[in-house]
Amino acid sequence: MKKIPQTLDDTLMNYLDGSLKSEEKAGLEKLLDESDMLRSRLDELRIIHFALIETKPDEPSKNFTQLVMGKLDGYVERSTFPIRNGIFLLAGILAAVGIVALLVSAGVFDQTQTVIDLNKINIPKQYIQQTLPAISINGKVLINIIVVLNLGLAWLVLDRAILKPYFERRMQTR
Amino acid sequence: MTNEEEFQCIDRVLAGDQQAYAILVDKHKYYAFSIAMKVLQNKVEAEEVAQDAFVKAFHHLSKFNREAKFSTWLYRIVFNTAISAKRKNRQIFQSIENTIVEYNPGSEGTLESTDKKKYVNQAMAKLSDADRTALSLFYLEEFSLDEIAAITNLAANTIKVRIHRARQRMADELTLILKQEALTL
Repeated sequence: MKKIPQTLDDTLMNYLDGSLKSEEKAGLEKLLDESDMLRSRLDELRIIHFALIETKPDEPSKNFTQLVMGKLDGYVERSTFPIRNGIFLLAGILAAVGIVALLVSAGVFDQTQTVIDLNKINIPKQYIQQTLPAISINGKVLINIIVVLNLGLAWLVLDRAILKPYFERRMQTR
Repeated sequence: MTNEEEFQCIDRVLAGDQQAYAILVDKHKYYAFSIAMKVLQNKVEAEEVAQDAFVKAFHHLSKFNREAKFSTWLYRIVFNTAISAKRKNRQIFQSIENTIVEYNPGSEGTLESTDKKKYVNQAMAKLSDADRTALSLFYLEEFSLDEIAAITNLAANTIKVRIHRARQRMADELTLILKQEALTL
């Protein structure tokens, strides 16, 4: 069976919606008089159109409002961050900490030392008359601080992104 | 209830009068439940999702900025909650034959109209969640295209085209269903 072009199908829908201009309507009605196929398609669309017009809102249970009001105080906001992503994040942090700890224990950062000489900073003489001290930074100490901070971060991720959502879900399924 | 009265009701809820929320639930429960039904096509799940959406809306009421209608904001929460619930239940295969077709014996008189409703529901079940919801809201005549677009997170122009196409697809499906029915007779 030959298919009706999309634009003509759209025009039939507009005809049923009553959104065609009078000349467009007259043109379509002429086409409908000439074509059985078009008339049959209009009938199909008309069945759907009138069935949908009869649509009424679905009716919830009679005690719907009471059930909602009863649930208001027991609401626990669930984390939208999936536990699986939390596990990946924690594994990433721990892997990075592990690699750095290995490098530290192998002595990679033992020789890393730098000195920041504050006198080399371009500050106008009228503000500072005294000689500024030079600050020595030990690479190993700096890396150790970063490792400790990462362990703190790992602990936070474990708590907020894994354990908390996990126990919330367990509470809700009971 | 006008928009202004609704905003006053929201103010009472925000001021601590929890019972005032029951007025809003009573007013919007039918459409909220209908939206959840259109997405989930299961009365028990739709009821739970609609209730959860109301509870969620209550706890985020202070975030409602009053630029849009409360109903649009609420129904968007219902739609998103229903979509999330459907995604979670996606593993459970539900064929069209198992789809619960809601039928209220009191509202239908003849066998013909019951059958028609059944076939239309079957054809509707084949549409996407967004198309089914948009089409239902469009025919419930309470919503403008812009409101439907805001509820379903789609552009108004897209909604118009989708409603057109959805009806055409439904007509095609219905023809197919009726042909199959005729063959089984």
